[in-house]
Amino acid sequence: MQKIKLIFLFFIAFYIAIVVRLFFLQVIYSPVNKSPYLKTNKLVPVRGRIYDQKNQSLVLNQNSYQMYVEPKKIEDKDRLLHQLSESLEIEEASISAKLDMSKYWVAIASGLTQEQKDKIDKLNLKEVGFDYQTKRYYPEASLSAHILGFLGKDSQGEDVGHLGVEGFYDRDLRGLPGFLETERDILGRPILIGVQQRVEAEDGRDLILTIDKNVQEISKKRLLEGMEKYKAKKGCVITADPKTMAILSLVCLPDYDLEKYYLFNENFYKNQAIADLYEPGSVFKPLIVASALEEKKIKANDTYDETGQVAVGEYKIKTWNDKYEGKISMTRILEKSSNVGMVYIGEKLGDKKIYSYLEKFGFGKNTGIDLEGEASGYLKPANGWYPIDYATVTFGQGIAITPIQMTRAFASLINGGYLMKPYVVQKIISKSKTTEMKPKIEKRIFSQTTSDIIKKMLVSTVENAEAKWDRPKGFSIGGKTGTAQVPIKGIYDASKTIASFIGFVPAENPKFLTFVVLYEPQSSIWGSETAAPLFFKIAKDLIVYYNISPGQ
Amino acid sequence: MKNALLKTSGLIMIALVIFNLFVMISGIVISDEINAFEQKADKLHKINLTLEKEVASLSSLSFAQIQAKEFGFTNSTAPQYIGELKYAKN
Repeated sequence: MQKIKLIFLFFIAFYIAIVVRLFFLQVIYSPVNKSPYLKTNKLVPVRGRIYDQKNQSLVLNQNSYQMYVEPKKIEDKDRLLHQLSESLEIEEASISAKLDMSKYWVAIASGLTQEQKDKIDKLNLKEVGFDYQTKRYYPEASLSAHILGFLGKDSQGEDVGHLGVEGFYDRDLRGLPGFLETERDILGRPILIGVQQRVEAEDGRDLILTIDKNVQEISKKRLLEGMEKYKAKKGCVITADPKTMAILSLVCLPDYDLEKYYLFNENFYKNQAIADLYEPGSVFKPLIVASALEEKKIKANDTYDETGQVAVGEYKIKTWNDKYEGKISMTRILEKSSNVGMVYIGEKLGDKKIYSYLEKFGFGKNTGIDLEGEASGYLKPANGWYPIDYATVTFGQGIAITPIQMTRAFASLINGGYLMKPYVVQKIISKSKTTEMKPKIEKRIFSQTTSDIIKKMLVSTVENAEAKWDRPKGFSIGGKTGTAQVPIKGIYDASKTIASFIGFVPAENPKFLTFVVLYEPQSSIWGSETAAPLFFKIAKDLIVYYNISPGQ
Repeated sequence: MKNALLKTSGLIMIALVIFNLFVMISGIVISDEINAFEQKADKLHKINLTLEKEVASLSSLSFAQIQAKEFGFTNSTAPQYIGELKYAKN
């Protein structure tokens, strides 16, 4: 009987021990979080893809793997290094440098393709493993490098978009991560009566751009040819729909390889079209002429007596060739790009009005284009302006703006006077809805009448310019050349210029507006001999591409 | 009476054990299926990305250029434009 009692007490004690242990496991140590069977996985959303206006892919995702090594499991280090070096085509020394034997886990290479992974898998290396990742794939390589931007890492090692669309729309593109909390058995199978909680990841939104990759290709090819021909240091071509300021192409060279962005220095990342400040030179003149027309201070047929240099304080203003034609019309001032004529128009317009129009054009402020990395430029306060500043600004010197600001301001001349907000994304597509971006009118600067008059003046400027270009015959094209000197340490260097041309086709109802800028061309310093011929080559290609017929 | 009760409870116990085994085995089978579907979904996702990449590269401009070269489209085969377009329009 005594023995039975002892056995009974033993069992009681055993059960109490189990109950206490369970209490500790389930209550004190919060088993929900501590269970070795409970797995919580982050469900990584798929980053949004980017397409051009015709739904052609510009950025997609592709399978990629990060290869890691568990140093504690290594038996023969030399053999491992040799095998990995052969498969990955990386020097043994580079792998060895990464292989810290004191650690449990070391990442060796990332961005491996499926083929590379399969090759290493065949080696049956038990100390080597792979983590699945995705990386960006660019079917058109660096065709739109500055528009797209690239996908880098933040300080926590998370993907983050930098510059361009990737930077500006990073939150839309990256999506929201989900999680999967599930109890699994020792073989990794879900335990059905256990915890099973799944919050789906929300994939990033896809972007449809206003960019047309064919126009982009034409612009890039022509710009590259032009830069080689005219030996320019760098250059940009912006093509936009002047009615909406939807950007059709934006190319700046030199650019960089989006997949290997880390091999380039920061200077290559900069989108000159939105971040480089420069003095626009004569392409600025039509803005001042249109402002004076709008204020009814001049008429297209008014005349000015161009007799010689003009004195403004202690400074002398002259024409580019120091030649003067006597009585000339306002249109002729644009045709021959007369600086002294522009000083006259500036005087007619008046200092206050000049400044107020510069503000209306939005100089000194961001245009708000949906690309990361835009610079605002600088418009010094009105009380800091001297008479010479008001004189030189009429022909585009003494003011620093970005090419995109120039393009936008010029578009307002030919679209009926509307200052539009430039944009590159026309649709944002998520699983549940499509958001369409509408063209945004910022303000109206000119009347339709002024717009019509200045368009005619700009057509005449192209037709009667001092330089003769190989223009597409039968098409009415409006535009203006520009040659701006580059200030170096406060002094203008005559040998260094920024040559530009801005033009539109067809003049009556412009289908596209293209701005060409070449920085420091060597073959000729003049915009009329470098940027203008380049513009006409691009225009010829675009006329064919858009199927524009003569006389339109 | 006591015997019948013992037999009944024995049978119930055996039935419960069998049912329990059935539930456990069904659970394992379904878990295996879930696992297989998860792996299949993963694989499909990867195949999808690979195919998407392939389609994009086949419709890229650089591929078109390579093809054009292969088929002999060169500058010499550029279209010849009609000088006087007004006749062409008639």
